[in-house]
Amino acid sequence: MSALNNPVVAVIVSLIIAVGYFTLVDYYFMDMQGLDYWYLFRK
Amino acid sequence: MGPVTRKRLLSIVALCAMVGLLLLPIVMALPSPVTGEEAPAADGAKKAEGEKVEKGRDVYYKTEGIVAGAPAPKTTDGPKDYPRYNFESRVLLWFANQQHLYYGSFVLAVPIFCMIIEFMGVVTKDKALAKRYDQLAYDFIKISLTAYSLTAILGGILIFTFLTLYPAFFGYLSSIFRPVMHIYALMFVAESGTLYIYYYGWDKMKEGFLKWIHLSMSVILNVIGTLLMFLANSWIGFMMSPAGVDEQGRYLGNIWHVIHTALWNPLNVHRILGNMAFGGGVVAAYAAYRFLASKTEEDRAHYDWMGYIAMALGVSFLIPLPFAGYWLMREVYAYRQQMGITLMGGLLAWLFIIQATMIGILFLSTNYYLWQAMGRMRGAEKYQRYIKYLVFLLACGFLVFITPHTMVMTPAELKAMGGQQHPVLGNYGVMSAKNGGINVIITTTVLSFVWYMRGNKVSTVSWARFGNIFMGVFFACAYINIIWLAIYGYYIPANVRVGLSVPQVATTLSCLFFMFGLNSVMMKGAKQMGAIEWGKISTRSQYALIMLATAFTWMMGLMGYIRSSVRLFWHVNEIMRDNSPWAYTHTVGFAANMISFNVLFFWISILFVFWLGSLAAKKAPVEVKAGVPGSVPQPAGSH
Repeated sequence: MSALNNPVVAVIVSLIIAVGYFTLVDYYFMDMQGLDYWYLFRK
Repeated sequence: MGPVTRKRLLSIVALCAMVGLLLLPIVMALPSPVTGEEAPAADGAKKAEGEKVEKGRDVYYKTEGIVAGAPAPKTTDGPKDYPRYNFESRVLLWFANQQHLYYGSFVLAVPIFCMIIEFMGVVTKDKALAKRYDQLAYDFIKISLTAYSLTAILGGILIFTFLTLYPAFFGYLSSIFRPVMHIYALMFVAESGTLYIYYYGWDKMKEGFLKWIHLSMSVILNVIGTLLMFLANSWIGFMMSPAGVDEQGRYLGNIWHVIHTALWNPLNVHRILGNMAFGGGVVAAYAAYRFLASKTEEDRAHYDWMGYIAMALGVSFLIPLPFAGYWLMREVYAYRQQMGITLMGGLLAWLFIIQATMIGILFLSTNYYLWQAMGRMRGAEKYQRYIKYLVFLLACGFLVFITPHTMVMTPAELKAMGGQQHPVLGNYGVMSAKNGGINVIITTTVLSFVWYMRGNKVSTVSWARFGNIFMGVFFACAYINIIWLAIYGYYIPANVRVGLSVPQVATTLSCLFFMFGLNSVMMKGAKQMGAIEWGKISTRSQYALIMLATAFTWMMGLMGYIRSSVRLFWHVNEIMRDNSPWAYTHTVGFAANMISFNVLFFWISILFVFWLGSLAAKKAPVEVKAGVPGSVPQPAGSH
């Protein structure tokens, strides 16, 4: 826990969680509607 | 039998009576909604012996049913179908309808607040706080009681206006909804009975088991109120997106199809959230008015607290309101694309720009109030220097949100701008940008709330630093994700783009639920920098509350007008044509003046209601303790 309180570690861990979470949210909620979130990148 | 047991028994009997009242109309109506098409079918079997059974196809559900009603009347402009005074009948009806809706919304919302606050009082372990909550819930219901009578009177006026000015249309609508009309009336009886027992039984049932019975009564009261609203919504749902009738408007015997139209569910959700937000706004304005008129510190402290609770409850329903509105619009588009285009891209599009402005004002007022409210906390000063960044985010979101797609211009202006759309600002007039704008505004409001909740506290959990950094990073990523999705929408086709609003909403709601949850965990057992000094808030903040309530009222009037106008020249969309001389859409200016008049009338009349309430409060023997300046006054022992 003390390592997590180190600001640099905290920022990196938080970024990994938040970016991963929002990418999942974007992908999942588009997929749920039968739409392709990665549309632009696949074209 | 001891007096306590007798009291318990009586309260249980009262509760059972309320449940009975609630179920009575449903039981009475059981044969028609349950049997649906079977009832006329059985009837039809008898008829089959003598005459031919006529069948029709449901305009929405596309199912076949036996015709059980007359076709929609084909009206003509004349005294038979459209009797009139020397005035535009539609404007009279608009006024009567709007006033009834304002009061109806208010008296449906406030008992829900009462239920929530009373529940908070019951479960709170701190006895002094529990008493304060109880007193607050009582204050709320007291306000709504006077308004309730006025709602019933306005309902009567509305029916008479319909009967007098639009007899053919009203006759047709009531013939379609005949199987449930009496349920509506009986629900009113049940609502009144429950409300009066709930209000007058407050003192008798203030402790222990009886308090739970009292709380259960508030649940029943709100179930009845909500059912009433759902039934009323089915009428407007039918007028916009009719179902359960054939193309001539003949009833096909299935009342559930008539009620459960394409727009009924989104209307229900949108209205219940809207009513709650509106109710919160009105009570907050009442508290602000009492705060400004207060002569003592105790009163100021009490009404400051009341205003805050009402505002918090109202805003908690305001936050999901744009999403419910979005769902409603999506369903409108799914039902009739042309209707959606008329609303958001055609005749009524400018009204949506005004609506966007009003929504922006609501959120700006809320944020402003929260920032002002941080002034009554020791320790919240640390957030003051960051407020300017929130102002920047709100201003950007707001400006994008209110940017029109196209503008009405003179040929010279059109030439000067190089087309209907401005070369730069025109890009912000599309839904992709607007979704980004409103989500940025809502996320910023959530952030302001989080700051307010931790204003005078310092977290003592061992992982506090990580928690704070995580919250900051999460919010930053949420903003980036919302803006990214808004920009991404410009580069993909419309059919894919339309889906991006869902992850945008999910991002905002993630901030709301996760950050509120995480903040609550972090603030458990937190070190207090100082107590909240209720009553020590700037006068400006109270004007923000009044602004909030006024903007709500105006927006409700506006949205009601938009929803109603989208039917254009139809009483019942594509079924019954409006052949009165007023079957045209008013100019934006006229509509705005009419809405303003309705708002003004509502506020003048509700001020009268507040004044009446204050007369009753003055007469009541209230025991006021010599309060510590800044603390919330202790409520009187009884009402």
